[in-house]
Amino acid sequence: MKSYKFRQVIKENVGINNPVFVQILGICSTLAVTNVLKNTVVMCAGLVFVTGLSNLTVSILRKYIPGRIRMMVETLIIAAYVIIVDVVFKAFIPDISRQLGPYVGLIITNCIIMGRAEAFALSNPPGLSLVDGLTSGLGYAYVLLIIAFLRELLGSGSIWGFRVLGDWWTNWNIMIMAPGAFFMLALFIWVVKGNFMKEKQGASGAPQAASAGSSPQPASAGGKS
Amino acid sequence: MTEGLFAFGVFFAAIFTNNILLTNYLGMCSFLAVSKEIKTSVGLGMAVIFVMTCTSVINWLIYYYVLVPYDIVYLRFIAFIIVIAAFVQLVELVIERLSDALYAALGIFLPLITVNCAILGASLFMVIREYTFLSGLAYGAGSGIGWAIAIIAMAGIRTKLSIRSKVPFGLTGAGITLVIAGIMALAFMGFAGMIVIT
Amino acid sequence: MLSSFLIAVIVMCALATFLALLMVIADLTVGNYGEVKITINEETEMTVEGGKPLLSTLMGEKLFIPSACGGRGSCGFCKVKVVSDIGDYVATELPWITEEEKKENIRLSCQIKAKKDLAIRIPEELFNVKEYRTRVERIRDLTYDIKEVTLKLIDPGEIKFRAGQYIQFQTPEYELSSESVYRAYSCSSVPSRKDFVELEIRLVPNGICTTYVFEYMKEGDEVTINGPYGEFFLRDTDAEIVFIAGGSGMAPIKSILLDMAEKGIDRKATYFFGARTTRDLFLLDEMRELEKRLPRFTFIPALSAPAEEDKWTGETGLITEVLDKHLKEGNNQEAYLCGSPGMIDASVGVLTKKGLPGELIFYDKFA
Repeated sequence: MKSYKFRQVIKENVGINNPVFVQILGICSTLAVTNVLKNTVVMCAGLVFVTGLSNLTVSILRKYIPGRIRMMVETLIIAAYVIIVDVVFKAFIPDISRQLGPYVGLIITNCIIMGRAEAFALSNPPGLSLVDGLTSGLGYAYVLLIIAFLRELLGSGSIWGFRVLGDWWTNWNIMIMAPGAFFMLALFIWVVKGNFMKEKQGASGAPQAASAGSSPQPASAGGKS
Repeated sequence: MTEGLFAFGVFFAAIFTNNILLTNYLGMCSFLAVSKEIKTSVGLGMAVIFVMTCTSVINWLIYYYVLVPYDIVYLRFIAFIIVIAAFVQLVELVIERLSDALYAALGIFLPLITVNCAILGASLFMVIREYTFLSGLAYGAGSGIGWAIAIIAMAGIRTKLSIRSKVPFGLTGAGITLVIAGIMALAFMGFAGMIVIT
Repeated sequence: MLSSFLIAVIVMCALATFLALLMVIADLTVGNYGEVKITINEETEMTVEGGKPLLSTLMGEKLFIPSACGGRGSCGFCKVKVVSDIGDYVATELPWITEEEKKENIRLSCQIKAKKDLAIRIPEELFNVKEYRTRVERIRDLTYDIKEVTLKLIDPGEIKFRAGQYIQFQTPEYELSSESVYRAYSCSSVPSRKDFVELEIRLVPNGICTTYVFEYMKEGDEVTINGPYGEFFLRDTDAEIVFIAGGSGMAPIKSILLDMAEKGIDRKATYFFGARTTRDLFLLDEMRELEKRLPRFTFIPALSAPAEEDKWTGETGLITEVLDKHLKEGNNQEAYLCGSPGMIDASVGVLTKKGLPGELIFYDKFA
């Protein structure tokens, strides 16, 4: 049962409930940094680190956090880890850090981390929460890497800074700029949703009402208040 | 160039050529979620303008009068975010007391805004670019207005789209919104060159 | 090195403390609405702390307005008529208020706040709703996600309710919730047993109350409930009865059937129980018992997705299909439904098609 839970968490965060293309979270940084593959890798590393550790910390502290200031405490925990990441980047990879600009700091407001903390870490044990955090980060990372790979290839003709497409290739400058980011992400979502999500939705939206014969209950739908 | 003119330039740039949403991608999550209806978009947009302007000013003061003198600039993330959170909660209390109408229009959006990356982002960009006080104020206000214009325009387009067009299944929801945003970003790029300021 | 670290800590703490102080002052001044007088039905007056939602303010004064969602604006049960001026309708109220109700100034008490003196009108029965201290006598698994909870009343020791009514169950503060919340559950026990209340509770993922019931509550624990509430009970006619409910929606129906058996009410009745697989079926023996005690009662379970291995020989299909198949065109029939809005709307569609007038269709719609 225990290992089943781990596998389920991994499967969900990477595929069915992927933070980026299913839950549509963390879009801001997805669009901002994916114009250069190297920067994206660094950003993803930072995010996986912060998501994993903040999930772990929130989960360890979950029994002691008073209800009223719950969100503030979570924000502070996340901010602390982000500061660590920011300072480490500034020290060891200053060029990339400068290119990333404020987006490292903006990991704090990245909806994925806060979302996982609220939805998972508050009601699950530390070990599982750590895995949930890391896999959410990974789910985010691979989407970004794919998009970044394409954007840098088409926009600068290079991969990881090494020019791979010859002189015959005219750079699609739009790929490095804002519109390109929006279009690439939309394309990604289109491909994934169109091919893999159809079964989940139950094609062309058959009314859910008729099949609800088994789900009535004289109680409210739970959810956190 | 006088400071006032520079500040005005920053203001103008923040709305058009350097739109915080269409150029810097900030505030996407609530943008994608709320832009379905015009009325709610207007409400959220107004709230964002107000909060962004005020928090930019407050954070500027905190940065230059507290963080820099005491050499703890690296703690700016924590400082800014707690200021934003506290400010939003205060504003909610005040609005609820003073005006039922205003609270009905704005009040429900305020908690959403605390985690809106655009608010924190505006403050961070402001200190990275080392704006003066006046420019910082102009930047905060302009970014807010730019964000609001983007979300209201998006709401208008999506409302029109929902009446007539058949969007392919894979693009429904976030997908088509991103495509529209991309086209809007393209359009706004046309403003570049009007202002030679970052 | 150390000094710069200390300065950092001190300055940040100072900033945080300053902001916290600002919040506290604001809460005490701006957010403080002082004392507010509420006049009920032109007679009863109470002085309360202002600024909080009307529903919780009244509950604090032991006046229990029905609520299925516990004040979140998602059930529409907590309506009260406000006779003084309390401002315009809030956006979150509007989905639940009809045009006629608007003319009567009916508001959703969980969405309006008692910021100044106000006067309201509520049904007299609500004054009879009481709060009960109970002890968990037994917790039994009915299916993989439904538990039967039996509560023994301590104080007051007896409860008077009609079969089909519901009570509000108070979840205490615990890990998932720093304040107690109320959730509504129908009584599945027979009213003649006045010192016990039996509930059927279905687990809702991440639900504050159901997680408490399934993972924390133990036999012997004390639980607070209040009630009874509800207009869902058997009408005193001789019409044929159609019951439609699935899952924990069986609770009020079981209560009504047991009551009928005890009082010898031998009207023709059919209970359509919709579920997905055999795993969702429960209390089949009790239903067979009732069929013996009430000769004119028939229990018809229907599975919409039976598994191969179960070798299900009963009805299959959606509950609406089974209804359509068995129901004869309306001749003096009444219908009682309990379940999700989706199921109820679909079933009402079939019933109306069969000629049942709207006034004779009664339902308990729990979101």
